[in-house]
Amino acid sequence: MKDRFQVVIDHLQKHYGEKEVLRDISFTFEQGQIYGLLGRNGAGKTTLFNCLNRDIRSDGGAFYLQEGGKRRPLGTRDIGYVPSTPTVPEFLTGREFLKFFLEINPHTGCDPAHMDEYFAYMSIAPEDRDKLLRDYSHGMKNKMQMLINIIAKPPLLLLDEPLTSLDVVVAEEIKQLLRREKEDRIIIFSTHIMDLALDLCDRIVLLSHGVLETVEKSDLGQEAFRERIIAALREEDHA
Amino acid sequence: MLKTLRLSFALRNTYRVNAILYGVRQIPLVKKILPETLYRIQAFKIIANILTVCWEVLWVFLGKILYVAVMIAGAASLYDWLPTDQVFLHILLFLTVIGSFANTGLFNPTRDKYYAMILLRMDAREYSLVHYGYMLIRTVVGFLPVCLIFGRANGVALWLCLLIPFSVAGIKAAVAGWTLYDYERRGVAYNENKLKKWTWALMALLLACAYGLPLLSVLLPVWLIAGVLIACIPAGAVGLIKVFSFGQYRQVNQELLAQLFSQQDLVKKKASDSVKKAISSDMALTSHRSGFEGLNELFIKRHRRILWRAAIRITVVFGLLVVAAVIAIGFISDREAVKMINRTVQTRLPYFVFIMYAINRGSGFTTALFVNCDQSLLTYSFFKEPANILRLFRIRLREIIKINALPALVIGAGLDLILYASGGTKYPVYYAVLVVSVVCMSLFFSVHYLTIYYLLQPYNIGTEIRSGTYRLVLIVTYVVCFAMIQIQLPLFAFGLSCIAFCVLYMVLSCLAVYRFAGKTFRLRL
Repeated sequence: MKDRFQVVIDHLQKHYGEKEVLRDISFTFEQGQIYGLLGRNGAGKTTLFNCLNRDIRSDGGAFYLQEGGKRRPLGTRDIGYVPSTPTVPEFLTGREFLKFFLEINPHTGCDPAHMDEYFAYMSIAPEDRDKLLRDYSHGMKNKMQMLINIIAKPPLLLLDEPLTSLDVVVAEEIKQLLRREKEDRIIIFSTHIMDLALDLCDRIVLLSHGVLETVEKSDLGQEAFRERIIAALREEDHA
Repeated sequence: MLKTLRLSFALRNTYRVNAILYGVRQIPLVKKILPETLYRIQAFKIIANILTVCWEVLWVFLGKILYVAVMIAGAASLYDWLPTDQVFLHILLFLTVIGSFANTGLFNPTRDKYYAMILLRMDAREYSLVHYGYMLIRTVVGFLPVCLIFGRANGVALWLCLLIPFSVAGIKAAVAGWTLYDYERRGVAYNENKLKKWTWALMALLLACAYGLPLLSVLLPVWLIAGVLIACIPAGAVGLIKVFSFGQYRQVNQELLAQLFSQQDLVKKKASDSVKKAISSDMALTSHRSGFEGLNELFIKRHRRILWRAAIRITVVFGLLVVAAVIAIGFISDREAVKMINRTVQTRLPYFVFIMYAINRGSGFTTALFVNCDQSLLTYSFFKEPANILRLFRIRLREIIKINALPALVIGAGLDLILYASGGTKYPVYYAVLVVSVVCMSLFFSVHYLTIYYLLQPYNIGTEIRSGTYRLVLIVTYVVCFAMIQIQLPLFAFGLSCIAFCVLYMVLSCLAVYRFAGKTFRLRL
């Protein structure tokens, strides 16, 4: 049986001028889990994602992938990042974008001949597959972006408030998809919507004062758990 | 009133000072030295404050000097067969009429007005009147010495020179009063930054009268000009009565300031929309290539309008100019003039650095690349893999070189033709140097723009430029190219050094991209 992997963040730091956004982040994320990342506005959720995605340089610490006792740095291919606003190359059709992606990423093992199956998997209708992405709706663009990130099979998938502006049907479809896809990867899901986090995520992680901490559900009921999270977030004000 | 004036100046100064400090922090290296707490440091604020006050005082005169020296006195000197004082007054009168509605000071929505009247809820009437009064005083004080100096130098009577500043202020006040009356009547707020078509037409007509009539030796008589200038004074007084009695400044300003933001958003939106709309919907445009070559082919085909059209137009225009020049040389009977053309071609090659700078499509190409392609693809991990970045860089370099090479070849060959038609040269190698150096200049700009795009990637996801270094490089590029206009060098020496420099630059740039682009080609945050 293949070893399960973890993403380990070790004393990660990032500051802007004198403001320490990520003070000392140390955390281990486990394969097969969806993590709900909660934090107040400006707590540093997007900064954490940007550091992991190497869009900005961190000021200290490290993060790596650990599997079977071996460590290796997280490479570009190991991370999928879905920002809150879907971004797709608008001059391509959905099919052309997927074809382009598969051609330059043969390591995914996905067969370009089966493109229609992938579209169907994401509930992208046949009549939309050959339309320019410019003419896709917000929800369809989001699905397209999600499809590329799922086919790429990165061990770590970062989702920055991806469901916030989707209609209820598309949001539900994406939720189902994430549940199906979580087994082979780690999904970190940043959101402001508590119900969504409680509904979808296996673990709730708070980012406050520049550190990450888990909120243990223990044997609490849903309502009590929710109150515990809000209390933890409120504490920030009085810290 | 005084309190309003003091407060509004303090406000305007604060945001100007902050803008200066922000601008200074955008300069590479300086950013690292200056702390983020810069805005708190009193000494910097005092220096920046002194600078803004100096600028305010200086601009009262500097703006007027530039205006009168260039637009009126400078232009008047071109009509040397006409009486100088009359041309001076003729142009001044028509431009003053244009200024009365295009530069009112009252209907110009600006950010400081927005901050004061909308955000800080200052009394709109008081604020408007104080600023309007200040503007009129600036007009009179600024114009008085400038009109005396330039007017007298052009032979205008002293009493007229003294009258002009008051007349300029008067006509402004008259138009402002009428516009306020019109607002009461029709409820339409006049915005001097969003002129209607008929206003543009009127402006064009007045400009034609100002500069066109003297060409036909038609000038307004001095007595008529003087009469109009005198009439501006009572008209201004009537206008001022309306300005002071008007009671709806808040409504007018609210409407204008709402337009300010929609206007600015619109400009931004239009800029990125025009690139986005440029995607061709013709689904017959496909590609049989795979991977990055396929991506590139589709990009080029579906953006043909913005990528190629300008280059083709430039090529056609330069082609026609060359044909016209060669034909004209055939008709010139004065041998000296033909020799002069020959000499110019042989010594003025540095001028073409600026021309190639002005016509090269590098900046448009990289903007289109970002807005329609990289803005989205840079959020995908696979796209940011160093090997993929370099693969696409090579393909894109080939494309931009092709686009820029078309006009360059026509210009180079055209210069050869002009050189030949104007008597040629005894060194045949010069013809080759001419073509090769122009093509090298085009190669240089192709590489230059793509390199700085890959090494500095200046845009954030909202397609705003967020890199001070990138801006600085663009400015330096412009200044250097502009400076080349002044240089006269023998064709052979300049041509060879130009070729050597371009080749060296291209090699070094590509090496830099290969070395660093994997790390630098990222979305700005």
